[in-house]
Amino acid sequence: MSGDSIPIALPLSRLASDACEVTDLYRELRKPLLQYLVCLGLSTDEAQDTVQDAFLSLHRHLASGASQENIRSWVFRVAHNRARNRQSSYRRRFGEPLDVEIDMVLDQATPEQVVLEKEKFRQLGKAIRQLTESERECLLLRAQGLRYREIGNILGISTSTVGETVSRAIKKLAEKCHV
Amino acid sequence: MCELSEKLIAWLDHELADDEMAQVQRHIQDCNECRCQLHAYQQVSRKFDAYLDAVVASKAERRMPRWVPVLSIAAVGALAAVAFLVFLRPRVEPLAPVSSVKTAPAASVLGPKTAPVPVPIRKVRQRHAPSPPPEKNQVASWPPSEPAIQIAIPAESMFPPGAIPEGVNFTADLSIAADGSAQQIRLRPRLVGFERRATQP
Repeated sequence: MSGDSIPIALPLSRLASDACEVTDLYRELRKPLLQYLVCLGLSTDEAQDTVQDAFLSLHRHLASGASQENIRSWVFRVAHNRARNRQSSYRRRFGEPLDVEIDMVLDQATPEQVVLEKEKFRQLGKAIRQLTESERECLLLRAQGLRYREIGNILGISTSTVGETVSRAIKKLAEKCHV
Repeated sequence: MCELSEKLIAWLDHELADDEMAQVQRHIQDCNECRCQLHAYQQVSRKFDAYLDAVVASKAERRMPRWVPVLSIAAVGALAAVAFLVFLRPRVEPLAPVSSVKTAPAASVLGPKTAPVPVPIRKVRQRHAPSPPPEKNQVASWPPSEPAIQIAIPAESMFPPGAIPEGVNFTADLSIAADGSAQQIRLRPRLVGFERRATQP
């Protein structure tokens, strides 16, 4: 996940304010976007391509004088739709085992703790895979710090539906993981 | 079950209206059950975040190793190709027409043997090869200090019957290093019938 530079060339003389806005937004949203896309099932390379595509679209969007409201959810929605178009990757979500990083995370734990934590992680992964697509997407976007209203914009559902979906999903996970 | 327990997660996410936020705030100070639930939801949210971090780390880690097998295979292939070119360079030249054979006859490459020849290979030559003219030796590109031998190989031992016209055989020229290992091999087709005419005027 390297490369912090903006992947687009902007005509700065005419669009200086847009450029600054895009740059700030890129710094703010790059990491959450990448995490969201990777957790949807895209590969790291695909996720980076998709983020760059989304910001290229944002630049065009702003350059055309379009509305600048809800820009965060606008970028997420573009990236989300691009990810959906990569159907084969999209279906792989959460499908991979995670033993390697659990070892990394638990470097200083005792062997018993490691076994226990691994088991909890495994249960959580299983529970996440059992959520509905909508529940999973809502939780993923919530984890990126988005408001319910923004999540609703991205997924094309109402704010109250987001609230209900998030609540349901969290309760399911808490129940299955015995937290 | 408290009636406010439905609002606990929205309260955690600061998604309630101000008056509702205050209402839930007051409630959880009194209700032990809701406090426990709230704690569980917080834990799950944190673990969910950790799980996402692990997913990202896992995929980032797997990026490089994917290429390792490919690179290894490519490296082994390149080494094999180099070894093949250096040690076992077969050179099958097209059959020359009669006129060109007179000026640069393929048979003339079959120089005299000045070295001891490995016995099993020699047997093949004795069975099938016509005697080369001893007076000609044009293997100039080989180091003169290195002895050369020839092995005549019948075409039918390498190709299916009928693939090569009758009267065509192959000769392998070998240079032998001081330690007895084969250094260079050249494979040449030979027109047996024509060669007799050319070498016995």
